[in-house]
Amino acid sequence: MKKDTTDMWKIIHIPDKLPIPPNQQPTVNVLASVIDPKHANTLIRRLNQIAPLKNVCHVKRIQKKHLEGGKTQLSVILCLASEDNSLLNSLPQDVQELSDSYQLSPFVTKVCKYAATSKEEWEEQCKLWPTSYHPPTYNIDGITGFSEEDSLSILSFMKVAIELAKSGDGLIVNAAVIVDPSVQQIITNGCDQIFSWHAPMNTTCIRNDCIEQSTHLDSHQSNGVASTVTEVLPNASPSEPESLSCAVSCLNPWKWSEQQSDTANSYYWHPLRHAAIVAIESSADRDRRLFPDLGDAEEKSFETSQSSHVVAMVKRQKTSVANAEKKEADPPDMPSNSVPERPYLCTGCDIYLVWEPCIMCAMALVHQRIRRIFYAFPNPNNGALGSLHRLQGEKSLNHHYAVFRICVPEEALDIAGNRKSC
Amino acid sequence: MDSHVEEGCSSETLTFMELAIEQAKDALNSLEVPVGCVIAEDGKVIASGRNRTTETRNATRHAEMEAIDALLEQWQKSGLSVSEVAEKFSACSLYVTCEPCIMCAAALSILGIKEVYYGCANDKFGGCGSILSLHSSSSKLPDSGNIAQRKDFKCTGGIMALEAVSLLRRFYEQGNPNAPKPHRPLVQQATDN
Repeated sequence: MKKDTTDMWKIIHIPDKLPIPPNQQPTVNVLASVIDPKHANTLIRRLNQIAPLKNVCHVKRIQKKHLEGGKTQLSVILCLASEDNSLLNSLPQDVQELSDSYQLSPFVTKVCKYAATSKEEWEEQCKLWPTSYHPPTYNIDGITGFSEEDSLSILSFMKVAIELAKSGDGLIVNAAVIVDPSVQQIITNGCDQIFSWHAPMNTTCIRNDCIEQSTHLDSHQSNGVASTVTEVLPNASPSEPESLSCAVSCLNPWKWSEQQSDTANSYYWHPLRHAAIVAIESSADRDRRLFPDLGDAEEKSFETSQSSHVVAMVKRQKTSVANAEKKEADPPDMPSNSVPERPYLCTGCDIYLVWEPCIMCAMALVHQRIRRIFYAFPNPNNGALGSLHRLQGEKSLNHHYAVFRICVPEEALDIAGNRKSC
Repeated sequence: MDSHVEEGCSSETLTFMELAIEQAKDALNSLEVPVGCVIAEDGKVIASGRNRTTETRNATRHAEMEAIDALLEQWQKSGLSVSEVAEKFSACSLYVTCEPCIMCAAALSILGIKEVYYGCANDKFGGCGSILSLHSSSSKLPDSGNIAQRKDFKCTGGIMALEAVSLLRRFYEQGNPNAPKPHRPLVQQATDN
């Protein structure tokens, strides 16, 4: 990997909420007053009792301003102001009494309504009134930045995905690479298979190696052609500017029905076989192949709550996995379990997608418990991870992944200039 | 057939939903999350499916996906073209015991299914109104000329919801023996690169 090219590849976290400019954060009004510093402790203690700052715990009670001549001035928040801004008559009685007895002069001022989610937001908040800021303590690596080493490996996996995406005959499709980051290895991959699909249920021979996969012979079909998943797309006309994006299923999932049918019927097609779905299926096949003795159900319900708790557990387990040949701690109601370590779906795994997934694929990745998603190009009309939807921010879901975009230089797809810029 | 099913469902609707419940029971007997469905065309059931996520270790193998795959295979084996398949889907009704999740609702829209009848709502994952409304595009439709028109489908919930819920409840009450037990594989066994 050449250093000079990877320097251009930036990794950006796509947050759960639509980012708002730090200086446009919502505010609420409070009543505050300048106080005599020697009363500060008493006043704050008393105010915290009679007028606690409910729902705005991130707001500090006291503000210290540096005045000219080295002097400082202290102000405290007396209480939240009523909605209608009608000043002093809105002081609760005990606050009013306190205010009177210390001869305070209440005024209305603004504080930020929500706790800061980034340092930038926090700095902006403090211009209004000081707040506290607790950087998020995520269990997911990378949200607060990647090490040089991690970045390089992330970029190299994305490059594998991009190569897969252009492994067809001049057509670009979406491609997915599932990686176990704990061992830096590709578990499986998949490409869009809307218009070329191996026979149904014939999914036993998927290999780990992406090159092998992409030139994978179709053993089940009689057409005898090296049926790379990307080669057949009826009616693709390279002269049309949108022809490239046409082949990426997630960019327009409804497009399938407009394709002319190939009457030769030499291939199967399936409108839902987007790259992520294909890769998930392939990883499940791999799971069954590696752990054939699963026998009874291990999977728990789709409603069981786990999310970050599991990620933490997985991390702990990773460290002890070497000497834990066999888990002794089967749940009491589980009959003897002879199977050693096996994965729960894709817990702990990352997926690399060339294009931001559509909502179907994004939800499939929630179901399969993917830990981090990296995509290179946004999907402005149908993307579910920041463009049209922001599924990573849906609180009701039982699993949440972290989403990153890797800004890839123009030439990465290097099929002429008819692809829109990222 | 554009009769609205609100208070009293048509007997056909109930019949189909009962078949979906049967599918869900089959799932329960296999220790799968009990959700089942049937797809009907011209008053006849042409496919059925039930949750198979445990067996396949593929958490996307919901009842709807199973039934859809069965149909696609069946239609292609009988030589239908892409446009014929699209037309067929637009004449199909899905009866499913639980509101389709976001993934399945999106899939049903992609296929252009005509209508969906479901049992209980899916408060955490529902894609037909509970969390997102993927059956109706009016809310979020980017204006773009050359994009194939996304398809809405009619959606009616609450059909035999109590039966659907009681199956789910039984599943969780029987003490899910498959409690979350996250394992990590020794991946070296599997990868040779």
